[in-house]
Amino acid sequence: MTVLRASRVGVVHVALAVFAIALIARAAVVQLWHGKEWAETARREHLAPMPIMASRGTIVDATGAPLVESRELVRLGIAPRDVRDRRGLVHALASAGVPESWVSRATDRRRVWVEIPTRLLPEDAAPAIAMRGVREEPVSDRIGFGMGGLVSGLEVTLDTILRGDTGRVTVWRDGFGRRFESPAAPRSVIRGGNTVALTINHWLQDICERALADAVTRMQATGGDIVVLDPHDGAVLAMASVRTGQTNPAVTSLTEPFEPGSTLKPFIGAALLGLGRVGPTDVVDTHAGSITINGRTITDTHHAPAMTLRDVIRWSSNVGIVQFASRLSAREEFEALRDVGFGTPTGLPYPAEAGGTLREPARWSRQSAASLAIGYEIAITPLQLVLAYAAIANGGELLEPALVREIRSPDGAVWYRHQRRVVRRVMTRETAQQLRDALIETVEQGTGVQADLSTFAVAGKTGTARRVEGHGRYGTHAYTASFVGLFPARDPQYVILVKIDDPAGVYFGGSTAAPVSKVILKAAIAARDAALDRATLTARDYVPGAQLASTAARDSGDIPIAVASTKGGDVGDDPPEQAHPVTIALAHGARDSVTGSRADSAVERTVPDVRGLSLRAATRALHLAGFRVQLVDGRPGETSPVAGALARPGTVVRLGRVE
Amino acid sequence: MVALGLVGFVLVAAGVIWRRGYGAAHAAEIRELDRRRAQLADEQAALERRVRELSSRTRLGPIVENRLGMRVPDDSQVVVLPAPATYDSAAR
Repeated sequence: MTVLRASRVGVVHVALAVFAIALIARAAVVQLWHGKEWAETARREHLAPMPIMASRGTIVDATGAPLVESRELVRLGIAPRDVRDRRGLVHALASAGVPESWVSRATDRRRVWVEIPTRLLPEDAAPAIAMRGVREEPVSDRIGFGMGGLVSGLEVTLDTILRGDTGRVTVWRDGFGRRFESPAAPRSVIRGGNTVALTINHWLQDICERALADAVTRMQATGGDIVVLDPHDGAVLAMASVRTGQTNPAVTSLTEPFEPGSTLKPFIGAALLGLGRVGPTDVVDTHAGSITINGRTITDTHHAPAMTLRDVIRWSSNVGIVQFASRLSAREEFEALRDVGFGTPTGLPYPAEAGGTLREPARWSRQSAASLAIGYEIAITPLQLVLAYAAIANGGELLEPALVREIRSPDGAVWYRHQRRVVRRVMTRETAQQLRDALIETVEQGTGVQADLSTFAVAGKTGTARRVEGHGRYGTHAYTASFVGLFPARDPQYVILVKIDDPAGVYFGGSTAAPVSKVILKAAIAARDAALDRATLTARDYVPGAQLASTAARDSGDIPIAVASTKGGDVGDDPPEQAHPVTIALAHGARDSVTGSRADSAVERTVPDVRGLSLRAATRALHLAGFRVQLVDGRPGETSPVAGALARPGTVVRLGRVE
Repeated sequence: MVALGLVGFVLVAAGVIWRRGYGAAHAAEIRELDRRRAQLADEQAALERRVRELSSRTRLGPIVENRLGMRVPDDSQVVVLPAPATYDSAAR
């Protein structure tokens, strides 16, 4: 019995030993012979590579405020046959905003796989993602802060800079196919897109957009453009466009050339001065405002017998500039316009920038020289015109425009920063100064008075040009009204172009575009940060009491200007201020109105009694009366001149306040 | 000896598994926090855009002008204060 039991135990031991040996042998085969293959199989099943999209770079304005950002959204893929909680999925998808038709498809068990095209916010999609049978795919979306046309163009042009490098991460998978990231898993470097800082100032952009929208609505125009440029470094500070019927128009300041009309005259003047064909005291016979050249009659609205070049610019005399321009050869006139950048794209990083049209002299007609002198037979973009005026503002240098101020990598390192680049010198400093003086007179006493400010000197030029309509001919009542201003006049920080397309009623640049420029400048001066160096403004341009009589009165109320158009021929132009009666509505005790020349606006009025009023109310009352206010130490409500005294509008009234 | 060896093996194996589980849990938490951060950043961007829209001149301008009687001041009504002296210049 004992022997039998011992032999049974021995058999079991042997069997166990054999089993153990077999197990060890198998383990050895698996580990030693096939170890690498099995390890590779396990790695394939447990780990999965997953691409990670780099976040696209942000576009910010000059102050750092975002204009376009990326946001992460998800797209869902669903395997209907794997879904356990069908009713819950229907509810989750509907709550996330998935259209009903796609919810039905996603829960249709006859389908193997359904990809829902709707992009969802991750927090909205989270309940659905947590369910079995639902997979998420991250997608990136761009969220804009306005300026759609400009930003869309930049997204295309700067795509390689904004895009960044796609990375890859290895994730773990469990038996259910769920994915887990591991800090230890291999991961390639993900480099996000660069941040692009534009030269645009969003405060100023906002001011321009509102001013343009208001102007287009009020004037029943078909559209308009505004460009503001820093003439010292070529930075575009604001760029607004409106086209009626379009909610998000393209950047027409870059893409739509137009015939500029009289705003071109200063550049003919620059050529004449630069080549020494006209001296400061040279006078040309302006034939009382009408001349016939090669069978075409050119007229002025300011009928003078003779003018200097300065007067020609101030009064925007067509006859005068055509007469002066005849001292230039066709080649010289062409080169003068070509050199300031007309006919060539400026090189701004925008995909569809237009170069405009400036024909070679060989293709000119007998009328071309005269037409070009008054801004016809040439098409330029608003940006080209602003850049050309920037040369006048900065002492004669044509600058390369800039829309990108800086490019920063995701770690904050700056690898591009805009630096001033001079394309060429297009006029001497002396010529630029002479033109600036002429443009200052244009605003102070000429066709651009409605752009004038009370405190700061502004230089500028008005333009009114007939527009070509759909049939390829000039429209009977279709005009482009424009104004280009330099602010402040002495060391300009802004070059501002306001262009109004086809305004109804009054269509002259001096009456339509110039006041819009003034609105923008006033708002920019009052704004928190509109790219203005106020310290420089106060140091150089504050002109106490200068020109206030006219401007303060003008600003105290609307000035309806009765325009009796005397236009004839095929050239529209600016109305000289003296040619029209001006009706001034007095703001204080507005019962009287004074009709006559602008000098009449300086009628003396009574300083109001503001004793007993709060400082704010007292200041407001004095402003309403047309006076300027200076706060001084003294008894509250006490004024100098005293209440009841007569003073001209715009006079500084010192108002006492307690320190 | 065998029993001790088995106990040691079990302890080591349990430690490895716990460590991996701990890492995986933290990785999941990191991923969740990353996702939450991205969501909050998106929400912030959306809210900033909304604030920008609501505070734009185009929207606020007519309201403050018509309802509150405010207006953009004339340039002569803007008082530009001189920049404060720097510490050095003030000290001198």
